[in-house]
Amino acid sequence: MKTVLAIAVLLGFGATLAGGYFVPGIEHARLPSLTSVVANGGRSEQFVIRLPADRLAATDGEAGGLRAQRGEGAMLLPAKLMAEPVLVEHFKIRDAGGNVVGIAARHWDGNASGATTTWALLIPSRGAAVLSASGESRGVLEASLRGRGYAAGRAWDGEVELMVTRPEAPGVLTAGTQEFASLSGAYLETWTVAGVDEDGELRGTIVLDTVTWFPQASEPE
Amino acid sequence: MKYLFVALLGLVLGAALAGAMLYFNPFSTTAATQPNASDRVLHYSLPDDVLEFALGADARLFGQEPGDDGLWEETIDRSAVLGLTLKDDADQPVAIASRLMTVSADTDLLLRGVLLSDHWLVTIPGEGTLFVRADSNAWPFLKQTLVPAWYLERPWQGPASYWPTIGPGSDEAGIVLGVAGGLRGREGSAVERYELTALDPARRSALAEGELHLALPGPQVAAQE
Repeated sequence: MKTVLAIAVLLGFGATLAGGYFVPGIEHARLPSLTSVVANGGRSEQFVIRLPADRLAATDGEAGGLRAQRGEGAMLLPAKLMAEPVLVEHFKIRDAGGNVVGIAARHWDGNASGATTTWALLIPSRGAAVLSASGESRGVLEASLRGRGYAAGRAWDGEVELMVTRPEAPGVLTAGTQEFASLSGAYLETWTVAGVDEDGELRGTIVLDTVTWFPQASEPE
Repeated sequence: MKYLFVALLGLVLGAALAGAMLYFNPFSTTAATQPNASDRVLHYSLPDDVLEFALGADARLFGQEPGDDGLWEETIDRSAVLGLTLKDDADQPVAIASRLMTVSADTDLLLRGVLLSDHWLVTIPGEGTLFVRADSNAWPFLKQTLVPAWYLERPWQGPASYWPTIGPGSDEAGIVLGVAGGLRGREGSAVERYELTALDPARRSALAEGELHLALPGPQVAAQE
């Protein structure tokens, strides 16, 4: 009887400690990565944001133009930051197949020494990637839309494609964790707007075309 | 039957002993070395400085409603997005931060604690953008505050102060990288501290004061305003 008790105590003790160490069920769900190998080495992967469904929030500062969020869900900046040339947006991100795989923050900073754009992408099962590039000019989206007949306060349908980063000066992978650690990379950001409603809400997509590679490999062209 | 009962009793007893050991385990309450006085400190208050909070359906500790913009998809349902205004020592807003957080797969109650992978993107207008990568241990907060006061409805012994950062950098601090603007290329360390100043489970409210201590070499960030 004592032997049974002792073995059972040890089993219960060991199993609970093992459970505390391994903490079952904490792994994040992972979908297959939709990547392809590019000609000169490296891995190509596309991330997509569908507007307005995937936009979680955006700041309401003056610099944001149509991309700033107003009304419900806006990130209301304090008065001191309202006039600063900064736009912060939060999104869900999808893979090329349209499945939500992560979350992202985009910071645009239109400082005097040159505008910058920084993305932080977090794919819980794979890690985080930070992408940086020269930022677009303030109001560039509105100017493109006006060139296609958009007028503020009126609904508009059409298609405007805006390359926020250009192939001759792509953005770079600045930092990464887990799967994105120790990688080099480049990316292009393209906005496609298919419509604007009367309140200024955008419909369309943001596409991030990324190519990553190990630094010791030859850099893809 | 008697042996089965003894075996069950033994299993329960063993599990209880191990559970107590895990609960009072000193290894899972480690924290980063406290930062130097010369570090730049960015402050935030909860909930006043929250710009946005989107929470995964399986990451709700306080029983919050996920809302329309909740993170319900299974790939992100243990994640959270937090937008914050950060203030300087004079209580003036100077920066906007996005925090992308997720429960870490490195969580280990035996040796490390309940870990969150915390990714800050901090833009300081006129200076640039910083990326902060930190592992935060939520176990001391869960053990000392959330479980007894929120779930067991015991009187709260607050205010309570926490230093949750435990890595991944040296001295168990977080890692800071300047990624854009005038801060680009700078590297350093970061440690977070927060003090829970009020907790009312009945009203489902909590107040906290937080600090992000940044140690970055160079005049722009090291200088206090």
